[in-house]
Amino acid sequence: MNISPLTTDEQIMEAVKNGELQQASVLFARYHKRIFNFLRQYLNDTMLAEDLTQNVFLRLIKYRGSYREGHRFQSWIYQMARNVFADHYQANKNQSFVDVEKMSNHFADTTEHDDEREALLQRSLTKLSDEQRELLVLTRFQQMKYEEVAEIMNTTVANIKVKVHRAIGKLREVYFELEKN
Amino acid sequence: MNKEKLESLIIDYIDGNVNDADRSMIENEIAQNTEAKQLYDQLKEVTGLLNRAHYIEPSRSLQANFEKALRQEIALNEKNSVKERKPAYAKTSAGRQVFISSWVLRIAAVLVIAIVGVVIADRINEKREHKKELAAIKNELDNNKKMMMDLLQNQHSASQRLQGATVAYEMNHADDDIIYALINTMNEDANSNVRLTALEALGKFYQQNQVRSALIKSLSTQKDPVVQIALIRMLVKLKEKEVVNQLEKITRDNSVIKAVKDEAHWGILKLS
Repeated sequence: MNISPLTTDEQIMEAVKNGELQQASVLFARYHKRIFNFLRQYLNDTMLAEDLTQNVFLRLIKYRGSYREGHRFQSWIYQMARNVFADHYQANKNQSFVDVEKMSNHFADTTEHDDEREALLQRSLTKLSDEQRELLVLTRFQQMKYEEVAEIMNTTVANIKVKVHRAIGKLREVYFELEKN
Repeated sequence: MNKEKLESLIIDYIDGNVNDADRSMIENEIAQNTEAKQLYDQLKEVTGLLNRAHYIEPSRSLQANFEKALRQEIALNEKNSVKERKPAYAKTSAGRQVFISSWVLRIAAVLVIAIVGVVIADRINEKREHKKELAAIKNELDNNKKMMMDLLQNQHSASQRLQGATVAYEMNHADDDIIYALINTMNEDANSNVRLTALEALGKFYQQNQVRSALIKSLSTQKDPVVQIALIRMLVKLKEKEVVNQLEKITRDNSVIKAVKDEAHWGILKLS
C-alpha cells in the first residue's frame, strides 16, 4: 500500500469508494480514536462507545458508495457517528441516553481516585440537554471549530456559537448549584 | 447589558475571541462590577475544566474487529466483481446462435472470439503473476514468523523475547504455531513485561477459539498480579461473562493481593 502521508482524507475516501477497500484502514487509523472518544465523552460509557465506534467504521465500509466526492470527510464520518448513536437510542428508547446508574458508579470511582472537580463537571454535564452536551463535547473536548460543527450539524456558524455559549452558561449554573449541595 | 449578553462576551474573552475595544470594556466591567467578576471566575473555572478533558485509548479488539470486517468486505467485493464479469461470456455463447445467418455476423463472431481469446490469455497471465506475488508474500510471512519465534524463544534475553512478542502483536494474522508460542509465553515466561506483551498480542487474536479458552484458563493459573489485572481488564472488555465465577474465586483467595481483588470485584460488577 503506497500512501503518502500528505494524501487527504477525501482522496483516500474516494479511493475506497472506487473499490480500493484496503485504504479504509488508513481512515480507521486516522479517526478511530477521535470517534471513540467523541462517543465515550458523550455517552460516558466506554464499552458502548467501543461497540458504536465499530458500527461507525462498518458503515463507512458498507455505505462507501454514499460518500459524495468533494464533501469534507470529517463531517461525513461524524454525521455517521451521530446517526449510529441516534439509531442505538431509537432501539433502546426506554433508556436514557446517559445511563445515570452507570454514571454514579463511574463517579464513585472517580471521586475516590481523581479530581473531585472533574467528577462534579461530569455530573453537571448529565444535567444538560443531549444537544448541549454534544455541542460541548465537540467544541471543547474534541476542540472542533464552530465552522466544523456547523457543517456536521447542518446549520449556521452563528447558530452554533449562540448554542455553545448558552450550553456553557447552563453548565456554569448547574455546576455551582451542585457545588453548594 | 443583560446577563446572557455579558456571559457570552466573557466566554469570547476567555477564549481570546474579542477585539481590543471589547477586551477593555470587559476588563473594565470585571474590575468594577462584582457580579461580572463572579461570572468571569465561574466561567473561567468551568471552561478550564472542559479544556482539561483527555483522550483514552480504545481496546485492541476494536482494531482487530475492524480489520476482520474489512477483510470480509474485500473478499465479498472480489466475489461480486467476478459475478459481474460472467455476462460477458454469456454474450459470446449467444453470438454463436446467429453465426451462420450472415457473413457480417460471422466476421463479428470471429472478432469476438479473438478478443475473448486475448482476454483469457491475459487473465491466465495475470493469474500466474498473482500466484507469484502470493508466493512472495507467503515467503515473507514465513520469514517473519521464523524471526518472531526465534526472538520469542530466546532464553538468554528478556528484551529479545519482548521484541518477539511485540512483533507478534504487529502481525495481522496468527497461525496455530504463533498462538501456541504466545500462550506459552504468557503463562511461563520469567519476565513480567514479556508475559504482558504476549497477553496483549493474544488479545488481538481473540476471535480465534483457542485464544479465548487459553485466556480464560490462564485467569485461574496466573500468579503475576500485573498480568492478572491486565487479563481481568481484557476479559471484562471482551464481555466474557463466563469468567464471573473465576473472578469470585479470586476475590476469596487469600493469596491474592488487594489490587487484583479490587479489579476482580470491578469485573464482576461490570459483567453481571
